[in-house]
Amino acid sequence: MSSELERRLEGLLAEAPEPDPGAGEKALHRSLRALQPAPPAHRGLRTAVIAFAAVVVVLAIAAGSLAAAGALHVSFGAKKSPPPVTQLVLPKGANGVAAIVGGRLSVAIKGGFRLQTRATAAALSPHALYVAAGINHSLVAMAPSGHVAWSHDAGGQVIAIAWAPDGLEIAYVVRRGSRLALHVIYGNGRNDTMIDHSVRAVRPSWRADSLAFAYVGAGGSPVLYDLEHKSRHLIAVDPPAIGVEFAPVGEALAVEQVGGVSLVPHGGSATDVADGNVEAFGWLNGRLAVAVPGLNSALIRLFAPSGAARGSYPVHGIVVAVTPTLLVVRRVGRLVAGRTTLVTVQRTVAVRDLAIG
Amino acid sequence: MRQARRGDREAAAALFRRYWRDAWRAAYAITGRQSLADDVAADGFERAFAALGRFDERRPFGPWLHRIVANRALDLLRAERRLSDEELPETPDLVPLHETGDRSLLAAVAELSVERRVVVVLRYGVGMTPKQIADALDLPVGTVNSRLARSLEQLRDSLEVERVE
Repeated sequence: MSSELERRLEGLLAEAPEPDPGAGEKALHRSLRALQPAPPAHRGLRTAVIAFAAVVVVLAIAAGSLAAAGALHVSFGAKKSPPPVTQLVLPKGANGVAAIVGGRLSVAIKGGFRLQTRATAAALSPHALYVAAGINHSLVAMAPSGHVAWSHDAGGQVIAIAWAPDGLEIAYVVRRGSRLALHVIYGNGRNDTMIDHSVRAVRPSWRADSLAFAYVGAGGSPVLYDLEHKSRHLIAVDPPAIGVEFAPVGEALAVEQVGGVSLVPHGGSATDVADGNVEAFGWLNGRLAVAVPGLNSALIRLFAPSGAARGSYPVHGIVVAVTPTLLVVRRVGRLVAGRTTLVTVQRTVAVRDLAIG
Repeated sequence: MRQARRGDREAAAALFRRYWRDAWRAAYAITGRQSLADDVAADGFERAFAALGRFDERRPFGPWLHRIVANRALDLLRAERRLSDEELPETPDLVPLHETGDRSLLAAVAELSVERRVVVVLRYGVGMTPKQIADALDLPVGTVNSRLARSLEQLRDSLEVERVE
């Protein structure tokens, strides 16, 4: 009996349904974004190892001699060194910069405030006066002094945060078990309200007037939430959406889908502005910038809020973020914004939620 | 695999397309829900690709990926079980038995406890040995074998009952 049952079980996966093609495309997109290449093999590795071993032997002999003479004290089992500090450099003209580098939040503002703490998500307030971060299942707002302004028990891991342009409210996505819920909380940490109990893991984006924001619902469709009327409107863009970004002025909304970006102008219908893989997208100096990946460079394609093309230009490296005034590009061992190297970072270290205010 | 490890997106995409269906179906067989299978399989690939640079390319990719997927599914289901205030479906959303010929087996597997279900899927669906399952789930081999034996017993009973009915 068992053998017959076991034979049937061996075909178990064949009895499962087929995965949804849309889910596959989205997963492929996410996976390619996460791709972390192996460090290149060095031809002279063997030589370097031998040379290093020789140096170690020489040093050991020297240290032994010194120790024997009482000139050097050697101890074993030393304390573990703290994790390396990743300090961001503030770009010229910016009020603040924040990013999660290798799982640790780093913030720098004009006054020199630097913060180092483990965090799951982060966002700068307007003018970089505060930073909101997901820390240990709480949403925490911190002032430039480094002091915690308030902490709100989110009941789960906060995975995305967006501060309204007027600074009065914060939208955030929290993971509870297998579900992601969308909440809005006042900028003073009070009046937390759940807006949608099931959404996608996408950072919401506020409209410039702070009266509405866009997010991605559980079904993958972008949704506009109007705070004044407490109403939701589906945005007519083919799901699944994997990113939403309102223009910093006006009401144009850019929506990233699997394999492209659509632009929904104020009061208009969606227009596809870019097809294929997208490395990053966002609003740069009032124009929609879409970074299309190439071999060693990216092509930045620009569009007016109406959807009209406004030219393109190549940049060297991988575009990791489009901020209101600067593109952030990852080059060998460093993140660069304009002429500023924001941080030196190993290629295997993930950088997320990078914001320049 | 070598090209994907070096960061070649085309090669990585080809690797994804080769393993996505099986990984998703394994996730589905463990979680019993399409929405969870989407998340679990996608998370599994995301984690695998993030760690691809450290992956020993002499080892097969499939079992390593399935190990990640199985552990992710277990984490999610266990976390879900801990949440008493969440309104989550108790039973999987498997297609009704009459819709296709042999969904009864999948439905019977879905009735196993999470711990038993995952070893059954990895052993028979994915084809891992008890030793590989033990390594993947950080369990003694004896525990894996006993869970398999008890699962088979329970499945036999379920399928017998169904046949009688």
